[in-house]
Amino acid sequence: MTKSLSARNIVKHYGGVIALSDGNLDVRTGEVVALIGANGSGKSTMSKVINGVVVLDGGQLLLDDKPVNLSSPQAAKNMGIATVFQELSLIPQMTVAENIWLTREPMTAFGTVNRNALQEKTEQLLSLFRGTYKTELRPDDTVGSLPPDEKQLIEILKAISFNPWMIILDEATASLDSRQVQRLFELIKEWKKAEKAIVFISHRMEEIFRIADKYSVLRNGKTVGAGDMKDINNKELVKLMIEKESVFSFSRADSKNENKDKPVCMEVRNLQTDSLHGVSFCIHEGELVGIGGLRGQGQRDLLLSLFGDIPYTGEMSIFESNRKLRHPREAMKQGLALIPGDRAREGLLYIRSILENLQLPSWAQYGFPLRIGKARKDAEAVGASLNLKMAGLAEPVSSLSGGNAQKVVLGKWLMRKPRLLLLDDPTKGVDVGTKAEFYALLTRLCSEGKTILFYSSDDEELVGLCDRVLVIHDGLIRTELSGASLTKENLIAASLGASNEGAV
Amino acid sequence: MVRYPAFFPLILLVLSIAINLFLQPNMFDRETLNSNMRVFLPLILLTVGQAIVLLGGGIDISVGGVVSIVNTILATRVGLDGSPERMWQFVMISLLVGALAGAINGFFIAYLRLQPIITTYATSFLYAGLALFILPNPGGGIPADIANLYRTSTPLGLPLAFYVIAILLMVWIYISSTRYGKYLFAVGGKATAAYETAVPVTWIQLSIYIISGFMAALAGIAITMLSGSGNAEIGGQMTLNSITAVVIGGNAFSGGIGGVTGPVMGAVTLSLLQNIISFAHINTWWETLAKAMIIVLALAVPGIINLVRRRRA
Repeated sequence: MTKSLSARNIVKHYGGVIALSDGNLDVRTGEVVALIGANGSGKSTMSKVINGVVVLDGGQLLLDDKPVNLSSPQAAKNMGIATVFQELSLIPQMTVAENIWLTREPMTAFGTVNRNALQEKTEQLLSLFRGTYKTELRPDDTVGSLPPDEKQLIEILKAISFNPWMIILDEATASLDSRQVQRLFELIKEWKKAEKAIVFISHRMEEIFRIADKYSVLRNGKTVGAGDMKDINNKELVKLMIEKESVFSFSRADSKNENKDKPVCMEVRNLQTDSLHGVSFCIHEGELVGIGGLRGQGQRDLLLSLFGDIPYTGEMSIFESNRKLRHPREAMKQGLALIPGDRAREGLLYIRSILENLQLPSWAQYGFPLRIGKARKDAEAVGASLNLKMAGLAEPVSSLSGGNAQKVVLGKWLMRKPRLLLLDDPTKGVDVGTKAEFYALLTRLCSEGKTILFYSSDDEELVGLCDRVLVIHDGLIRTELSGASLTKENLIAASLGASNEGAV
Repeated sequence: MVRYPAFFPLILLVLSIAINLFLQPNMFDRETLNSNMRVFLPLILLTVGQAIVLLGGGIDISVGGVVSIVNTILATRVGLDGSPERMWQFVMISLLVGALAGAINGFFIAYLRLQPIITTYATSFLYAGLALFILPNPGGGIPADIANLYRTSTPLGLPLAFYVIAILLMVWIYISSTRYGKYLFAVGGKATAAYETAVPVTWIQLSIYIISGFMAALAGIAITMLSGSGNAEIGGQMTLNSITAVVIGGNAFSGGIGGVTGPVMGAVTLSLLQNIISFAHINTWWETLAKAMIIVLALAVPGIINLVRRRRA
């Protein structure tokens, strides 16, 4: 039985902001449609329209060519439409099983939840991704204690648990590692055979070309192109997504330079934390060093301990003086800056203005009483150098798209003129246009003499951008890749802990 | 559900029982036990309602006002020479009034999406004012034989309050394993996620305030039978005690974590503190200070334990 859902000329405003002005989408059972667009182009809004989370201001939804009204998530679910949300719809205090089956718990005759059945049904679902979990994932684990990738998998399992005919995957692969993505794609292929329709939203081009049959491109709230994947290539797609002709390229191989003779910026010996088991490395000034590897191998702990945010043992010297950083304040005094990965939670005060966010770490520079005017000018200069797309510095950060919000996080640290920047997966969920700007910015900072230590979950990014890449596996630096050995193949192989190729 | 530190309220409870026993050696005699428990029961009832509200991610500051309204209704409408039938009739009306007061809170919070703390703060004055309107000066009352039913009943030699607590806990254990219980934790844990999962969030929010209002009415009935008379200010200081009891009981202030058993222990602990202070012959003007210090300490200990653990790490 073929089913289809079409969205026609969808309009959606949030207050004065137009999120969608002419959104269109056609999905049929047995196919994977990639919904593509830069950040802030309306992809998430589009998915929220189809699953009933937001009420549309104009246009029409057609289910099997008949108009339907999806007024609530409940209505969409009743019609068999499930969503894997980007900002997860899981309740951190509840268990895996309780989360997956919430509102559809198996019941006993006494009106209580049947724990055994709940456990069993959850085990069945969990087995779909068995082998790709890093923890011993059990149905009665509390969701809040799981790593982000496993939360994402639970979110996926929750969506498929009520056997929908249509599944919307909103950036579902952004926090997964390559094995998990691989398994998800196998499942998607099975779902296609089982006559399900899949809407796939992702920033990763390579994934889109691997899995999608059709594409639909949004730009500034308008659908600007749709068709078969086989009729289009990477460059053409990107061109559709960004208005400017500037087709991005983030290879800076030409400008990669040898920094071994420069003074040492940071040296770390035998660093240990809960998830790191003795890491040693050395960075020279002006270097752009990448940290690679599968997700959750200790990369985040490494950056946090370097910033004095979590306790660690081991020795560390910064600019050739031995120091033990016990607090981010001490790290900041040494000229360090940490750009956290979870910008909404750790990087920004979302409801406050862009200006306030930029100035927050720097007030100490402006004396007493504060030189407000000077601070504002500095913030304006940083804002301009970052090419922020905003209505004004007084607007709240929440009005910005993901990529621009990430620029503000970077900007607030640049205000302090740091010497060493620690970046924790800064381009996660950022659109290609902004990514390209970001790469150019990092390259520029390095050429200005700043040092950057850069963790990314995007392998291409590491290969294209970094002078060297330290590959972490299971809490240890297993491999260091640089120069000719720094290729995507080597990086992936090293990430899996398989080889020691190219080691120094 | 996160395993909450139920052992901590238990430790506090055991500790306060031990101290109380030291100061009052006949504490476990049938008479003494009953006279203690009948004093504790109103706060326990109030605390159960408050615990449900906090679990669901809200707070109810108006419960004391509801206690006062119920007290004044019973004291003025039944009277010292009222018939038992009239008493039970007004007990039913009181329960309805409590549920209605809760529904008003719930309507503002769930449907008009107002802040729980602001809304119930405002309605607390509304309810307290209404109680004063019904009974401007302390007085009135209920028939002594009905009051004695509450004061002196000890089925099988155990205080009435024990049976009430047992029923409350059994009902809670049942509810927490029903779908409603799961929804309660879901809404308190993360309401937006619950909404996206098609949990009836609005309805759950409304229901927790109705439960809280109903439990406050029960507390009002209990305290009226205990005192036998009416006083419009009787519930005023109970609100903060109920919130303190819930927090001592290990429920998260932010919702979604905890239960009802811990708060019940918290309410008993809090009431025992009152006993201990009066037995220790502390001057009345030191009483508030001593009580507050013990409460602050009790609240701080879990935090201090965590701090020490982090330092060790």
